Amino acid sequence: MAVFELPEWTALAPALILVATALLLFVFDSINPRTSNRSLLAGTSAIGSLTALGVAVWFMLAGVGTPSVDGGRGVVELFGGQFIVDQMALFFMVVVAVVTALVAVASYDYMEDHAYQAEYYSLVMLAATGMATMAAANSLVTIFIALELASLPSYALVSILKNNRGSVEAGLKYFLIGALSSAIFVYGVSLVYGATGHLQLDAIAENLEGAGEYGGLLGLGILMMIGGFAFKTASVPFHFWAPEAYEGAPAPISAFLSSASKAAGFVIAFRVFTTAFPIEATTAVIGIDWSLAFVILAIVTMTLGNFAAATQDNVKRMLAYSSIGHAGYALIGLAGLSADGGQLVMGAAMMHLLVYGFMNTGAFLFVALAEYWGVGRTFEDYNGLATQAPVACFALGIFMFSLAGIPPLGGFFSKYFLFVGAIEAGMLVVAAALVVNSALSLYYYARLVKAVWIEDPVADRGTLSQPTGLYAAIVFAAVLTVVALPVFGPIADAALDAAAVVIG
Amino acid sequence: MSVAIEYYVLLSMALFCIGLFGILTRRNALMFLMSVEIMLNAANINLIAFAFYHGNLTGQVFALFTMALAAAEVAVGLGIILVLYRNFRDVDVTVPTTMRW
Repeated sequence: MAVFELPEWTALAPALILVATALLLFVFDSINPRTSNRSLLAGTSAIGSLTALGVAVWFMLAGVGTPSVDGGRGVVELFGGQFIVDQMALFFMVVVAVVTALVAVASYDYMEDHAYQAEYYSLVMLAATGMATMAAANSLVTIFIALELASLPSYALVSILKNNRGSVEAGLKYFLIGALSSAIFVYGVSLVYGATGHLQLDAIAENLEGAGEYGGLLGLGILMMIGGFAFKTASVPFHFWAPEAYEGAPAPISAFLSSASKAAGFVIAFRVFTTAFPIEATTAVIGIDWSLAFVILAIVTMTLGNFAAATQDNVKRMLAYSSIGHAGYALIGLAGLSADGGQLVMGAAMMHLLVYGFMNTGAFLFVALAEYWGVGRTFEDYNGLATQAPVACFALGIFMFSLAGIPPLGGFFSKYFLFVGAIEAGMLVVAAALVVNSALSLYYYARLVKAVWIEDPVADRGTLSQPTGLYAAIVFAAVLTVVALPVFGPIADAALDAAAVVIG
Repeated sequence: MSVAIEYYVLLSMALFCIGLFGILTRRNALMFLMSVEIMLNAANINLIAFAFYHGNLTGQVFALFTMALAAAEVAVGLGIILVLYRNFRDVDVTVPTTMRW
């Protein structure tokens, strides 16, 4: 037992630390609006997110969010159940904090000449706050507010290079589709409220039977909410913003959106569909099993993402489509909930999102490094980079093979758990789709590794500099991807426990 | 209560469809923004009508939050449309095609 007990609201500390960092950056900005002290700003953001990471890991180890029967300190419910801090919330706060720290360090070099430094970093921290809050939100109100808190800074961040046509175009498309999907989401929320009379997730679940006469409204509401989640996780049918937004955005922001934002989208989807709409009760009211929708979405998303990625010439666009494919893998977590093996697939999806957070952020940061060098955007432009930058290219090899799911790396284990979980849940078609898609994805991931390591450079590019921040972030991401191996046991346990608590 | 709940839902669905139609047909980014506002307000009508119907205030309070968030969204959106105009000399959403759609 601890010597003193922290008050309950401190369970939200990771999110509070992130928002405090954002406010601190605003203070720096108001004292000296034209400041270009990049070390101070990037350092503050990195320290803030690493502190949030440390606190979240400490809470997990100390047993916050573990039910008391399992020897923990119990799940913390705050503000009348509007927020809940359980293991799943802490797990995803860890993902968000890691990615934010990597992005902050990498932006030190990438945003070197940018005029609005403090604004950039505070927007990143505010978006991270929104994502961390999404992990803990337990009511449709808090979910919607946290979702917007994560989205609004992201729109601005995507279009932050305001003299760059690609960035502005990407920001416009991201914003338009985001605004549309949040309107659809909030309409879905209003229909669910109409059918059940409540917005708090547990209360919705308790009042599902009473919604019998409004089964149609409830079903339509759930369908519209799936649309909102699909946007945030970049899965079909709201996936088409992703290639544009990721390609046009500054590469560290693409990394941020494709890893942290996607994970945050999944955590609210997991929470809403396990807590508010338990399968039997919901099926009784609306007449359809909603996990069927996720089976279809998972297969379509992973197939579409991987096939589109295989045809790309632009590396960043290839990574964007591959991130759609990975959203499809994570959707298996929701598709498999109907069966008894539900917690295995959901735990596997959470593991995958964690490992994916490391490797995908690393891959996008390598693109950031290439953009920093100005070598070009296509596979041919990357030819022969390994002779000039072996360390970064070795890290790239790790990211690519881990993304493809080659056995000794972290990406293999999370995919393996997804595969086993899908088979145990009786979803043979989904499991087959997962294997076929992984095999296909090896083609385009290996193509990048081949370009970098085996091909000869097309043109002479002169010496390449070694930006400290970008290198540090890439190497750190690579180390995390590799370290995920020896500690994969504890990660898997944490994810499975967290899934068990939520489903339980 | 004089007006049945069904009529409120019909009204809000009509507004939602008008907004959706606007998004699908208009090419001006500002009209697009207004259409999204109509859709958000359709949700507000639902929330307030259902709050009255269920006799709790949750929906009304959420409607207030939605309005505030809609305002914040418009602020960010207008900023993006402004830089769009500066870069492309147009607010037509079909003009920016630097990347393939």
